[in-house]
Amino acid sequence: MQTAESQSVNAACWSCGSAAPAGKAWCDACGKVQAPSEGVDYFTVFGLPRKLRIDLPALERNFYRMSRKLHPDLYAQASPEERQWSLDQTSLLNDAYRTLKDPIARTEYLLRLEGIQIEAGRSEEGKPKDSRVPPDLLEEVFELNMQLEEMRMNRKMGEDDPQLRADLEKARTQFEGQLAAVDSSLESLWTRWDTTIDNDTCEPETDKIKDEIVALLDRRRYIRNLVRDVNEALET
Amino acid sequence: MAYSDKVIDHYNHPRNVGQLDKSSTEVGTGLVGAPECGDVMRLQIRVNPDTQVIEEAKFKTFGCGSAIASSSLATEWVKGKTVDQAMGIKNTDIVKELSLPPVKIHCSVLAEDAIRAAIGDWKKKNGVEEQAGSAVPVAAAD
Ligand code: FES
Ligand SMILES: [Zn+2]
Repeated sequence: MQTAESQSVNAACWSCGSAAPAGKAWCDACGKVQAPSEGVDYFTVFGLPRKLRIDLPALERNFYRMSRKLHPDLYAQASPEERQWSLDQTSLLNDAYRTLKDPIARTEYLLRLEGIQIEAGRSEEGKPKDSRVPPDLLEEVFELNMQLEEMRMNRKMGEDDPQLRADLEKARTQFEGQLAAVDSSLESLWTRWDTTIDNDTCEPETDKIKDEIVALLDRRRYIRNLVRDVNEALET
Repeated sequence: MAYSDKVIDHYNHPRNVGQLDKSSTEVGTGLVGAPECGDVMRLQIRVNPDTQVIEEAKFKTFGCGSAIASSSLATEWVKGKTVDQAMGIKNTDIVKELSLPPVKIHCSVLAEDAIRAAIGDWKKKNGVEEQAGSAVPVAAAD
């Protein structure tokens, strides 16, 4: 719904007056750079639908092609406005590329577009939030953290105990396996999400998928931390 | 980002790190997590069954400096309060005390959640009814 809206908004080119879809960096008719349209989303920047599976090589090619077209050298003789717009479009393009090429950043960004706030905590008023973290996951993560800490402490005090190292490596294998499992579940959710875009699926279904993605990303953050910590422990 | 002196102090000298006997009926355990960052916090209280005063509090936090400081401070604050009084501790009080910047507010929220979860656990164990609006605000309005 939102997608359709934002794409149907047409702006007139400042130079030739022909209609151009909002979010385009250039006018299709005369090729002049346009002022970045307000609130344009990163998918629109690349002319992509709000899908989660992305052809990364194509994204990269597009990014470089568009960057070249916006290169400051090409605007050396242009009006100050056009020069400024080319810079604005370039930074928008960079942000869009950085976000979309990273699978997690892309997924989180899409959820945000869909009105789901992930990173922001509660406001200062501290309204009660419904705990999104399943209790058994918390127990598990807490336990693993305790074990990890114990291993690290033992390690700090004693010599390089081969048993401890073996335990840590085992833990790393385990966490990385969990991370991989989360990522593959995430990929199947992408597919389901993309299918809803193709089929214009009803809202309850898309909401369900969104909820599942949020839960999975929550879980992923805990496991990612464990992977990070165990790697740190192994390095020191 | 610069941490405030108070955060650094709690971080370097955390108060009441440790654990209490989870199985004791006098002990309430709150285990909470911040999905925003993947940090986890456990806060435990030991309540005097006669007076309902929290006599001991312990925490263990795997998370950022602000989360450690918030939980450390929370254990200090709940000690000596009745459970009802402790329910009145707000994350905003913690934010103020530790001068937490906006991006670190969720760390204080975690500590408030942990207090509530610990008290909730204790109440459940002891068959105390949750009463809406029974919490007495601690920080007197000035
Ligand atoms: S950054 Fe998440 S608890 Fe502090
Ligand atoms: Zn034009």
